Amino acid sequence: MRDEPYRWIEAIQDRQDYIEDQLRPGSPVVGITYNEGMMLLTVSKGQRKIFEVHDRIALSAIGHPADIERLRMLVTDTASVQGFQNATEDINLHRLTNYTLAPAFKQAFESIVGEAYIIKMLLAELGSTSEKNQFTGINFDGIVRANSSFAVIGGTGAIETGMQNYLTAAQTDADRDLTTALQLGLETWAVGKELSAREPEETESEDTQLNTTQMDEIIDTAREEGEIEVGVLEASQQGASKFRLLTAQEIEAALK
Amino acid sequence: MNGTGNFLNRMDIGNRDLAMQEVANHKGDFLDLLRHANHPLKIDLPSGTTQQGTDVEIAHSTTVVAVRYRDGVIIAGDRRATAGTAVIYDRAEKVLQIDRHSVLAISGSPAIAYEIARILEHSFQYFRRSQLQELSLQGKLRMLSRLIRDNLAMALQGIGGVIPIFALYDLDADDDENGGKIFFYDALGAHFENVNFATTGSGSIWIRGVLRYLSRFGETALHEMDKQQAAITLLRLLDIASEYDAATSGYNAKGQIFPTVKTVTRTGVNTVSDDDLTAWYAEAQPNAEE
Repeated sequence: MRDEPYRWIEAIQDRQDYIEDQLRPGSPVVGITYNEGMMLLTVSKGQRKIFEVHDRIALSAIGHPADIERLRMLVTDTASVQGFQNATEDINLHRLTNYTLAPAFKQAFESIVGEAYIIKMLLAELGSTSEKNQFTGINFDGIVRANSSFAVIGGTGAIETGMQNYLTAAQTDADRDLTTALQLGLETWAVGKELSAREPEETESEDTQLNTTQMDEIIDTAREEGEIEVGVLEASQQGASKFRLLTAQEIEAALK
Repeated sequence: MNGTGNFLNRMDIGNRDLAMQEVANHKGDFLDLLRHANHPLKIDLPSGTTQQGTDVEIAHSTTVVAVRYRDGVIIAGDRRATAGTAVIYDRAEKVLQIDRHSVLAISGSPAIAYEIARILEHSFQYFRRSQLQELSLQGKLRMLSRLIRDNLAMALQGIGGVIPIFALYDLDADDDENGGKIFFYDALGAHFENVNFATTGSGSIWIRGVLRYLSRFGETALHEMDKQQAAITLLRLLDIASEYDAATSGYNAKGQIFPTVKTVTRTGVNTVSDDDLTAWYAEAQPNAEE
């Protein structure tokens, strides 16, 4: 098939459409920083979606659970071996994403006779100082994007743009506390959720502004049907491992 | 093939065979993961070097002591490292945090002990990260047993024996119950729970009787002591051990070198600060000038 460029490009395009269709209903993930570290937030239904990779690295993804699990283990195993062979300080997100994950994503995506990964991944790395914090998103085709203050993943590019616009508009106080960050994260999630529920053609064209009532409705429905999941990398956490999941009580208290 | 910068191990698990896109399932076993990554841990001694049927004395020059107090376990270790009769280092850390709720106090060969602590730490973390739950208390105890047993050949050589105390807090304990637990290991890896206290190392023989006395007849029972009382008791015990055992250091006032003291409670592992130790030392040694 590679001898016939047109057919190959067409096959890749079909594959991309197929993967995006599969990803569209996925619950978006929001990554933002706060005064004591970094946060990954989503709303999950039964399956856990935010994971600890290593001492200062956390991961979340949308997509097929089997693909998420396989790639989560790939990056966790790689980091664990490397952290033991050398030292925790020798593990960094840039190398994990660019040398381990991205090639695997790209190869699966372009091997059109093989199975593709239905996945988008968002990783967070807590830096030694807050300026060195980093979010890295990896698309199913292996494209890597890094950002230091916030990042989102949603089913399609349009959903992500809508969420990013909301976050950019709200970036008033970079020194926000955990409660404020949690509320902002949840609002951004609601924007993404609303966009993913619309028809594909509407996502591109319509205004993404939600009023408070609409937003509260989306959040209330989500909380009835699933549960808010928040993983944080806290600089103040004692010991080498900085990751923890917030408890249901902590999330409740923050949203009161 | 991406060797992730390790010249000795060019076969990286991450990219071993991207075409297969398969990640082996290690079921949370870190040693299995290392084997798979061509990084086996086995220490191979040349054949015929293992002594058999002889009395083996394990060098364990140190004193570490753990006591179950009101909020959990408090554990202390002196700072001296020796080689024969020479003091080679006076700031050695012998009480090592393994995870948020466990601590390993080591006596014996430092090289092996530190490596065991490091493997243990990585094993617990790997289990938690891959299996999405904490390794159980029994699982943690067995992991340490396995590492000590795997090290038997070195222990029999008399050069690499390790006899640790493992203290942890059982989070499954009821809120009104003290979940602090102390376990003592022998050189073969068998573990025993010590209910009230444990001590090991060359200085331990001088204080075991005192501990027994305090536990049985003390004004305040060990398990009823608060953190300060328990810490002062441990400082006094280490002082006694250092008085009689050349391989155990006392408090170095000039260098401000204190024993390491850590607590393991429901909220996690905490290191007692030098400021607290300075204040408590004043109370621990009222007759210091004598």
